[in-house]
Amino acid sequence: MAKRNSKKLALAFFLAPALALIIFFFIIPTLLTIWISFTNLYNWKIDRVKEFVGLQNYKDLIYFIQHDPDVEKVVKTTLVFTSLTLLVNVLGGLALAIFAYLIDERVSLSFRLLWILPRMTPIAVFGLLWYYFFYGSELGTLNSVLLRLGVIDQPISWGSDPSVQPWASWLIIIFVNGLVGVSFGMVVFYSAFKSVPRELIVAAKVDGATTWQIIRHILVPMARWHLVFVTVWQLLSLLTTYPHLFVLVEWGVVDKNYGTTWSLYVFLTAFSKAVNYQALAAAAAVILVIIGAILGLIVLRVMKFEEMIQPPRGDV
Amino acid sequence: MTLLRLLRRSRRARSEWEEPLVKGRKAGILILALLLASTPIILSYTFLVVTSFANTIVFTPFINFKITWTTENYKMFFQGKLSPAAGQVYSTKDILTFIANTFIVAAGVTAVVLASSIPAAYAISRINFRGRANLMRLLMLLHAFPGVALIIAVYFIYIYARSPLYNALRDLAETGLVSKSFLASFDLAYSFFFVIVARASLEIPMSIWLMKGFFDRIPWELEWAAIVDGASRFTAFRKVVLPLVKPGIAALAIFAFLAGWEDLIYVYVFLPEMTLATFIHNQLSGGSLETTYLPVVAAAATIYLVPTLLFFVVTQRLLLEAVWGGLKG
Amino acid sequence: MVEVRLSRVTKRFGDVYAVREVDLVFPDKGFTALLGPSGSGKTTLLYLIAGIYRPTSGRIYFDERDVTNLHPNERNVSIVFQNYALYPHMKVFDNIAFPLKLRKESKQVIERKVMEIAEMLGISQLLDRYPSQLSGGQQQRVALARALVKEPSVLLLDEPLSNLDALLRIKIRSELKRLQKDLGITAIYVTHDQSEAMAMADKIVVIHKGVVQQVADPDTIYNKPRNVFVASFIGNPPANLLRVRVSHGNVPCLRLPGDLEYCVKDPIISAKLSALSTEEVILAFRPEHALISENPVPEYVSMEAEVYTVEPLGRENIVTLIAGADTVKVIVPPVVKPKPGSKVYISVEWEKVLLFDPATEVNIEYLEVPSVEVAREANPQWLGADEREVDEVGEA
Ligand SMILES: Nc1ncnc2c1ncn2[C@@H]1O[C@H](COP(=O)(O)OP(=O)(O)O)[C@@H](O)[C@H]1O
Ligand SMILES: [Mg+2]
Repeated sequence: MAKRNSKKLALAFFLAPALALIIFFFIIPTLLTIWISFTNLYNWKIDRVKEFVGLQNYKDLIYFIQHDPDVEKVVKTTLVFTSLTLLVNVLGGLALAIFAYLIDERVSLSFRLLWILPRMTPIAVFGLLWYYFFYGSELGTLNSVLLRLGVIDQPISWGSDPSVQPWASWLIIIFVNGLVGVSFGMVVFYSAFKSVPRELIVAAKVDGATTWQIIRHILVPMARWHLVFVTVWQLLSLLTTYPHLFVLVEWGVVDKNYGTTWSLYVFLTAFSKAVNYQALAAAAAVILVIIGAILGLIVLRVMKFEEMIQPPRGDV
Repeated sequence: MTLLRLLRRSRRARSEWEEPLVKGRKAGILILALLLASTPIILSYTFLVVTSFANTIVFTPFINFKITWTTENYKMFFQGKLSPAAGQVYSTKDILTFIANTFIVAAGVTAVVLASSIPAAYAISRINFRGRANLMRLLMLLHAFPGVALIIAVYFIYIYARSPLYNALRDLAETGLVSKSFLASFDLAYSFFFVIVARASLEIPMSIWLMKGFFDRIPWELEWAAIVDGASRFTAFRKVVLPLVKPGIAALAIFAFLAGWEDLIYVYVFLPEMTLATFIHNQLSGGSLETTYLPVVAAAATIYLVPTLLFFVVTQRLLLEAVWGGLKG
Repeated sequence: MVEVRLSRVTKRFGDVYAVREVDLVFPDKGFTALLGPSGSGKTTLLYLIAGIYRPTSGRIYFDERDVTNLHPNERNVSIVFQNYALYPHMKVFDNIAFPLKLRKESKQVIERKVMEIAEMLGISQLLDRYPSQLSGGQQQRVALARALVKEPSVLLLDEPLSNLDALLRIKIRSELKRLQKDLGITAIYVTHDQSEAMAMADKIVVIHKGVVQQVADPDTIYNKPRNVFVASFIGNPPANLLRVRVSHGNVPCLRLPGDLEYCVKDPIISAKLSALSTEEVILAFRPEHALISENPVPEYVSMEAEVYTVEPLGRENIVTLIAGADTVKVIVPPVVKPKPGSKVYISVEWEKVLLFDPATEVNIEYLEVPSVEVAREANPQWLGADEREVDEVGEA
């Protein structure tokens, strides 16, 4: 009898802090967000959280998507940004991992480290790097290079000149987020390649396979599962990420609408000084949560997650 | 099985098994290609650091400004001057406070992440309990949860709970249980608390997975030996298991610290105008290259970047392993 | 110091029965070996006694105390793990002192006891090192010291010698046995190495697929294996097994390869065979108990066989032969070198021949046949215990 209790006590001790944080900062906020999405909360007038409006916010959202050109742009941007960045991150990560795998391990270590640097860099700093680069006058690195090369004779405002929209803004956000995201695929694929038994590769070499054939017929097929995993996982991350986009938009590096994805739209709707409509933001967030949950469940499937839940041993 | 093991052993003995697949000139070309692909990263970071030591933007390679090398930018930054022409906008104390605040957030996030995820990871790795599998599934889902869906509600709670909490504390202060000086800085402490705990919570699912991976690698027999020797679960955890996952704790601490350090969104929401991130943000949002003196901002950014680079140099492999380790399970 | 008693203990992992309905007594101050092939449930049984695993059903007693639900640290047992499980971050001294520190012994007491035990095991000069700086043999001693320093009532050893080289193994074997006798500890020793079990144990428990096959002293295990599994597991090479037909006349006769016949004169066996009245039995004999000759040996159980190979081992030769449909190994003196392909006779003294019921695979000697008075083993408790196990195998 005492035994059972001591195990419960141990469990409570070990799990309580994490569970408390998960409940207070994941579960309750999620429920609260759903709640808010049915109310008329704006400008943080918290009393309005008791003002129910039913599905009005969701209806508004659908209406905006159909009739508000700004929101329409946001939706378009979300689709283009997510799919193209996904492509960049998965294929780029694969290419980087292959390159790193082929060359000497110590050299590849420096490259791999270099490529995860953007992921670790403070967001404000990373934004600053590209603020300079894409600046819209001849002071911007890109403009000055293109001017010098004679490609253009007037500096271009990449983020605001309507003649280069939407693609200039899109390419910038894809580029900046790609640099941050590509390292995930690289690390996962590289470790997958490293776990391919070396015997297989040596045997293939003995059989006269070229390096390309080894990549094509051994490495990539062995990392098949990782490929699926990285794709779904990155899809999820790209749908939910917004901090880098936030600085690019706020600092005017890209167009306000063509630089805003759905997540950022949620954030700006709730927090930007101008608009500030939390209930609408919450409704938009709920949609994101639903998509996220579906993708998350797919990840669980893909990861053969059940195999990872091996019970611990021992009964003490 | 045995054959495989034999092969492995022979592989250790024979270095040619370890040799890169591509050697010589071809390898040179590959490395060159990698280098080329990496130029944006290399150059952009270099430009930033170089600009912080120059009297003008060195980001614009083809404009013939006269460049003078100087540490003046750092001086100006610490004096709170945003450009040579302008007067002091901030005091030196303000600037030091920004740095300290950034550090407090990062250290706080580290502390919360370590204190909550290490024991939880241990329990999940080592103790069989009802709901364990579901908890693991939940963590995996939260790992990829849209953070933006949380911050609205968290900010709502932040506003909602502030005055009742303040009033309660004021009543307590009357009885002398809470010091008056704490009450005076209540707003600040309250904001820091929210930034730290909310930001840390975002890291918890991934951190638990990362740590679980490290606990999983400790042989069961070590813990059982301790328990048979007379240790309770807690003692075995503290005296035997914990010392053995020190590398994991180090990796986790670094990750958590960097997560708190790099953050912009949470400090923007809860601590505006008080950290390095928001300092840089404020210089650039609304301003323009013509009006903002960028070398000073570059100096601030370089200072902001130093801890990240330091961790980078120090931890290297640990970092690479950990990016993936959290997912391997 | 205590007698350990298991009563119908079962441990299931999911659908796998690691240990099944085990009744056993490990006598006080005895050295009992748990012998079985890998995966037979030995470690599980040990962990059940230690309290690391809880039985799915059944009870465990230390003397009269029911310890089934006690935490390991309330049982006063020690384990030496197969991989030693030394704490890598503690020096040898702290490793050995750990159990005492947990008991909050005073510094002086800890120091004295650690020194004593280190002295006894000859590792005094290693106390300042970390486990990674020790050889396998030294690590093994440290693990033993850590197990003994708390003066446990039961010492559990899980294949403690399996990671050592052959020479060291034989040396430590005798030391270990002496140590156990000197300290008078109840020891339970898990091994898959029969020679280890034979050399060290007072009692051997043979276990297979989680079921106890036989419990007896080494001699009995060797000479009177309880069933086919024990006969074929023990011995190097193990016992030869042949299926032979039985003709039931006045007395039952075994029909052996080469048209030879042996009629059973032993009245008890004869009666049992008749009562059993199967068409076939499994005949077994040990390789060292057989002779090879040009002609059948009268009064012996003889059979014709063809020589297949001869392996000279210096001290003796192992001859492999084909007898009927079965392969048979015989150990002969080095001078005996029959030509491969030649026809010879294998002969075994009747006393050395074992017969097993093909249906249950139980040694006929142990079979209780209703009409026959069977001489029981000296210790009825032991026999009673494993008889039920064997019967269950038969039913399964
Ligand atoms: N924790 C466990 N979970 C599932 N199956 C187990 C576990 N421990 C042991 N087993 C199974 O129980 C059987 C006996 O294992 P074990 O006691 O380790 O055998 P031995 O020590 O004799 O080699 C094996 O089939 C093994 O796979
Ligand atoms: Mg075992």
